[in-house]
Amino acid sequence: MPAIGRSGPARGDVITRRNVLLGLGAAAAVRPTSASAAETFSFGLTPLFLDNDIELLTLLERYLGQRLGRPVALVKRRTYHEISAMLLSNQLDAAWICDDPYVQYRNQLTLLAVPLYHHRPLYQTYVIVNEASRAQVFDDIRGTVHAFSDPDSTSGYLITRWLLALRHTTPAQFFREFFFTYGHRNVLRAVGSGLAESGSIDGYVWDVMREREPDLVGKTRIIYRSEWLGFPPMVAPNALANEPAVKAFAAALLDAASDPLGRQILDILALDGFTTGTPEMYQSTLDKWLVVKAQV
Amino acid sequence: MLRALRITSWPLTVKVPLLVAGLMVAIAVAISQIVLSRLARDQEANLRLLSNAYLDGLSAAVLPAVIRSDVWETFDALDRARGRYSGVKVRYAFVELPDETVLAASDPLRFPVMKPVPATLRQEFPKDGGLAIDEASGRAWLTRTLRTEGFSVGRIHAEIDIADLLRVRHQVLWTLLLANGGLTLAFALIGYFAVKHMLQPLSVLTRYVERVRDGRLEPIPQRYSRNVASEFGQLFERFNAMARTLSERETLATRLAEQEKYAMLGRLASGMAHEVNNPLGGMLNAIDTIHAHGNDPAVVQTSLEFLKRGLAGIRNVVRAALVTYKGGSDAVLTPAELDDLPFLVQHETGVRRLQLEWRNRVEEPLAIDGPTVRQIVLNLLLNACAASPVAGTVEVEAAPADGRLRIAVSDEGAGLPAELAALLEQPDAPAPSRDSKGLGLWTTAHLVQRLGGCVAVERPMTGTRIVVTLPVARAKEATRDAA
Repeated sequence: MPAIGRSGPARGDVITRRNVLLGLGAAAAVRPTSASAAETFSFGLTPLFLDNDIELLTLLERYLGQRLGRPVALVKRRTYHEISAMLLSNQLDAAWICDDPYVQYRNQLTLLAVPLYHHRPLYQTYVIVNEASRAQVFDDIRGTVHAFSDPDSTSGYLITRWLLALRHTTPAQFFREFFFTYGHRNVLRAVGSGLAESGSIDGYVWDVMREREPDLVGKTRIIYRSEWLGFPPMVAPNALANEPAVKAFAAALLDAASDPLGRQILDILALDGFTTGTPEMYQSTLDKWLVVKAQV
Repeated sequence: MLRALRITSWPLTVKVPLLVAGLMVAIAVAISQIVLSRLARDQEANLRLLSNAYLDGLSAAVLPAVIRSDVWETFDALDRARGRYSGVKVRYAFVELPDETVLAASDPLRFPVMKPVPATLRQEFPKDGGLAIDEASGRAWLTRTLRTEGFSVGRIHAEIDIADLLRVRHQVLWTLLLANGGLTLAFALIGYFAVKHMLQPLSVLTRYVERVRDGRLEPIPQRYSRNVASEFGQLFERFNAMARTLSERETLATRLAEQEKYAMLGRLASGMAHEVNNPLGGMLNAIDTIHAHGNDPAVVQTSLEFLKRGLAGIRNVVRAALVTYKGGSDAVLTPAELDDLPFLVQHETGVRRLQLEWRNRVEEPLAIDGPTVRQIVLNLLLNACAASPVAGTVEVEAAPADGRLRIAVSDEGAGLPAELAALLEQPDAPAPSRDSKGLGLWTTAHLVQRLGGCVAVERPMTGTRIVVTLPVARAKEATRDAA
């Protein structure tokens, strides 16, 4: 059975030796624009819930390498912000990022593909509490210790932040204490263990994890579901969007559902496939980001 | 009963195993004490090493997070450290900030984020860091101050479950108890059987000593001395030597008594010759008278009467001598057998003009060794005659009473010297030399002892009275035997 949420350090691990070298090169910020066919294709991954699934990363690397005809480096970092920064400075050819950074930098990024979850490019944000909590609705979690995922995560921060903005309050005022875990799986662990009494989490992650790690998810309970939002997309910097490798990358994603290896990857991710997305799908996220930004 | 309670009176077969068991218990206690205290010391040293390794690793992992007051990273480090350190069973661990609130704990429900550490718990942890052990509850507490650039940024506290260590200690204790208990029991049993086996010759010796008491002097057969310890071998040899000596002494005593009898007879013979000779002169005269005056019936009648008396006297003397020499019935003493005796001492009394007062109150046969009694009385009588002054009185009184025969012989002599009296009263004394005066008395005492009787020497106003008391079997048996 594929084990998406296998535990491990929630750091920006680079999986292979090649990736280590590439990661060092990337950190040096001297990588030139992607050009030759022999050059390594860099694909950034935000810590969604697939923090460190070796199997998934190995399959993904192999599938993309086959389709692109060149080596593929999967680049991971601890925070969404690091991936965004690398993407915006053209150190990555493409990346799977959260919808929040996408709406923030929508003018500098090009949508390549959007995952289909339950055949729709949509997902929800959940606010969860420990099973022992008496909270029933969002307002009941006032005064609790709250676990966020990442300051640049829609589901792991923005939506809750937006809900507080609507109440003209901030996390520091509303919660007794809050902290970032830099991973949706970590939010589950924090709330499940009781470290945090409430948490903000990606609904897609919670649903998939419920089947794969029922013990962990079973210690949490949903008290708020957001509206349906655009699923975190695959993007490329505008400057590289027309590169053949990037186009080949987008094609590989869109074809994944019809490829055995791609199908295997989609199964691990519990996705149905990819579709071409439009910026309009992220309007709701953008609206909320603007509300929050206005408060700050 | 009290004797049984005194340890000194317990048999060796109990004492030795008890001693072995006692020593084993003492050794076991001492060794167990050493082993357990050493184990406890080693366990504690080991626990210190392991807990230090745990704290070193944990400190390195949480320090950056604690500096940033990062709740999640601190929790993540604590959570991951759980179960990763073999030998350290962490019940919970938490990081306390300098303001005494909890930054994060491995058990957040018990130690909520940013809440003060419970006061009752705080006192369990060592104040100066390190390890505090409480064996009663099976727990230990660790504390490590987290420092960066010389400043304290927080403290790690952890509670460790040391029940496994204590369980090992209990297991070791039980193992020691069972092993030592088993060994002690085994050694005690081995000791019991070994001592029992070793002391077996003693029971053989006891058996043979018992036989001596019953009058059977038997040496311990060779087969018993073959497989015994040298000490018992020597003991057996000595016992056998003693048995031989005793047996020889018994034989010697019997022979001496026999010889004494013949010596006495020899002595008597001369007296008897005299007794026989005395009437012979008169009787020859009587025959001559019959020859000369055979026609006078009155003379003949008188002479024949004289001859008859003379022959009767000779017959009495000869018969008494015969009885003494040949011995009569072994099992019975008839009154007549005693009444013979004055005839045998006629010469002694006659020469010294002694008055013999003979009072024989035995009226029916007694179940007692007749010849031996005769020899005893004759010895005493001769002794009394010899001791008496000229024309003195010698009294003999024999009377049965309460299943005993009491014979008292008195004289009016100067009194029996103490050393001779001792010979009578202590029959176990060694036999005097053959030419000594006491041989007759020693033989008498020995004969009395053989019949199971006793001798008392009394000293009335004048002279000496020797009283012999002899046991008599029941009259019925005596009558039957006599018949």
